[in-house]
Amino acid sequence: MALPAQSRIRVTPMARGIATVTRMAPSPLLEPVTEARLVQPMVMIDVAVGERLHATISLNAEGLTIPGGQLTAGGWGEGFVDRRHPHTYVHELMFSARDLLGPVDGSARLALAAGKGFVPFGTDDPMSRPMLMYPVNHHLSQILERAVAIAQFKIGPVVAEASVFNGDEPTEPGDWPLLLRDDGNWRFGDSWAGRLTLRPVHQIEAQASYADVHSPEHRAGAGGEARKASASVRWHDAPAWGERYAMVEWARTSELDGFFVFHSMLAEVLVRRRRIGAAYRFERTERPEEERVADPFRSRRPHLENAILGITRWTLHTIRAEYDATDPDGRVQLTPFVELTTGRVAEVSGGVFDVVSTYGSNRAGTLSVGVVMGWRSRSHRMGRYGVLAPDHAGMTPHKGH
Amino acid sequence: MSLRSPGWLVLAGMVAACSTTTPTDPGPVADTYTASIVAGQGQFGLPSTALAVELKIRVVLNGTTPAANRTVTWAVATGGGTIVPASTTTNTAGEATARWTLGAALAQQTVTVNSTGVANQLVFNATAQATPAVSPTLVATVPIPANYGIHDTFVRDGLAFVMAWNNGIRIYDVGNGISGGSPASPQLVSSLVTNVNGVPGGPQAHNAWWFHNPVTQQKRYLFVGQEGPANIGTTSSGDIHIVDVSNLAAPVEVGFIHVPGAGAHNFWMDEARQVLYAAFYNGGVAAIDVSGTLSGDMSSRIIARVQPGGNSTYVWGVMQLGNTLYASDMLSGFWALDALTLATKGGGFNVDERFTSDLWAVGNWAYSGTWGTRSGTRGNAIKIWSLSATGVPTLSGQIVVDNVGTVSDVAVTADGKALVATAENLASPGLLVYDRVDPANPSLRGRVIVPEGLHTGELAVINGRSYVFAARNPGGAGPALVIYDITGVVP
Repeated sequence: MALPAQSRIRVTPMARGIATVTRMAPSPLLEPVTEARLVQPMVMIDVAVGERLHATISLNAEGLTIPGGQLTAGGWGEGFVDRRHPHTYVHELMFSARDLLGPVDGSARLALAAGKGFVPFGTDDPMSRPMLMYPVNHHLSQILERAVAIAQFKIGPVVAEASVFNGDEPTEPGDWPLLLRDDGNWRFGDSWAGRLTLRPVHQIEAQASYADVHSPEHRAGAGGEARKASASVRWHDAPAWGERYAMVEWARTSELDGFFVFHSMLAEVLVRRRRIGAAYRFERTERPEEERVADPFRSRRPHLENAILGITRWTLHTIRAEYDATDPDGRVQLTPFVELTTGRVAEVSGGVFDVVSTYGSNRAGTLSVGVVMGWRSRSHRMGRYGVLAPDHAGMTPHKGH
Repeated sequence: MSLRSPGWLVLAGMVAACSTTTPTDPGPVADTYTASIVAGQGQFGLPSTALAVELKIRVVLNGTTPAANRTVTWAVATGGGTIVPASTTTNTAGEATARWTLGAALAQQTVTVNSTGVANQLVFNATAQATPAVSPTLVATVPIPANYGIHDTFVRDGLAFVMAWNNGIRIYDVGNGISGGSPASPQLVSSLVTNVNGVPGGPQAHNAWWFHNPVTQQKRYLFVGQEGPANIGTTSSGDIHIVDVSNLAAPVEVGFIHVPGAGAHNFWMDEARQVLYAAFYNGGVAAIDVSGTLSGDMSSRIIARVQPGGNSTYVWGVMQLGNTLYASDMLSGFWALDALTLATKGGGFNVDERFTSDLWAVGNWAYSGTWGTRSGTRGNAIKIWSLSATGVPTLSGQIVVDNVGTVSDVAVTADGKALVATAENLASPGLLVYDRVDPANPSLRGRVIVPEGLHTGELAVINGRSYVFAARNPGGAGPALVIYDITGVVP
């Protein structure tokens, strides 16, 4: 007997990874560094049960392929400096229930989502955007790999989201979010975020969001509050000849009641005509400088105090060219690319951090070549759950890299 | 997904992609191996006798990855002893060990270590001496909540006042008798979470001084430094909190001292004059009248405040010796100030290559530590200062401590025989004990490696034995008050 349509289970597996060689010059080793790495090796599984229940599972093997991080100009966070940290093995494990009230609320939609994944804050994860290199603002503009519970309400072109989550960011690839502290207090729920998303027409999406994150960099919770704000406008279009995409974002994070404030402005565009694609990103972002340990790409964790060595501003331009050799049915993606980041670093707040003595120059740059390999992964837009999940919201995703 | 599907081909491609690192210029991938000392450096032993601690080194690939199966060769360079084995290979942790038996000469002796493909040669040194060596002995470990942990301890009258950051202050009996404690068995007497005072980050209890007032004979007040957020070298925050410890079992906060735009760091007291000296980082040095009853906002009690380095002021610590108040400034070096007026007597702008940290002055000599990394130079030095008859310092020399990144605290024992330092970062942080037979050239007599690093070390004599009350940093085994018996390390 055939199952009713409402209870059918649809499983959609995907896989991807990027083999790349990156050269960073200058570097904190005071000499150029070249590395070959496999980054973003992931398996993603979407499970839909009928029209209303949905599971999103993303497994990430960067803990195995880049345990020491990925060379990234201006990259920082989770104890890494000038490298982007590896993500946790279980990147997303989210369960969503959509349109909970059915016809009761008319055309409106109420949804809930919970699990481990992205907090409804800020912009799309860099993994599902055009560039290989993560922007400097990753820790200002996204909050991820948290135990999170999200309530969503969609009416017309507007989606309102509210969430609670644990403030601590991962410290190791094998980490799970800390739910309960040693002192018996809950870590889950000590932080919250809200996001308002507006999609006036099919191609345009704007969002504004705010988050209060407790002690993100100290797992046990000894750190202060990080108050984060983000606003962005995203445009995406997929005409018959290819693809057009642009995004502009602003982000601000205030730590320790405004003792430290970090700003970010970013704009990026992509144009793909048939198989040839080109992209550009401009970014101006401030980051904290912390005491480094024996490895100049790592900073001290756990923290000992609330002091930093200074704030630097990274002004970076990234350009990319790619050739899309995806097979005709779109199942196997092979996209060789070349990507260049160049720019300058400036000290902006005093402190003892010295850019020139650290890098030998106030310039920053990386050059990468590689190939994006994917299987059924072209349409994956991370961190969108419930009524914002691509197949539900109709918000056509950018194909990512 | 079947095994013949394209998905498996993609995954196979991912797995096949290799991961290598090359800090070379230009391009093609090549690996760099480096070696460092893990244990066994700077030991003392009897002539013709094996050292107590095996020599251990570590080889890593491209700065972080342990390099296994690398050939390591060990050779006696001076002193005529033996090293066994002469050749070995690194294990999966990238480590190799060897046992060193000193030669017959009563002198410093050396062993060199080379490894295949490693550019840097390592050199171990040890000293053969006629009398048996005594090492610092760990007698107690008191875990402190990782919130963020412990920064400093003040010890007096057999009581240890532990500064436990956002857990406030914790008072332990370590020989006072009030709770039956001893250095080997500290007993908690009481605790108090000091006020936040609107400083971002919480109570952040950092350092303390228990004021024994010789005028009133009172032992009423404990001054607590709050180390708030800071942009090191430019800004800082945090007050001095005044805690009434008349009843040690129930301490009560009664007042505070605030310097606008600056944060408190280390203290010293001229107890006879009832003056508290406090380092205030970018706020310089403050002298505070703490006579009489203290209650509420005592900021008006600041008698004098100076920024000895002008715009290059970021004072770590102060110490009074006679009529001179010495100040260690992270940016501008080692200063001598008039203890009454805080006017500059001498010094300053005398440590340019490193950031200055803690200080100690005794007799005609002073010592200061170094911190962090300045223009690429690690804070791995102890500066040695000769003091003139008027107290003016002149740099006499320095000790460079191998495999540490910061010398965070320095102090001289009450008998003047030993210089004790704590160190953080890199491969060999921990506790260092030097003899002061020649104060201008202290000689290492004992060393304990503490991988987490020691942030501070407070010296105290209890029941005739000398102890170091050290603050073990978070990470690894976790933050803790660790107490070492150093009696006899410097005979």
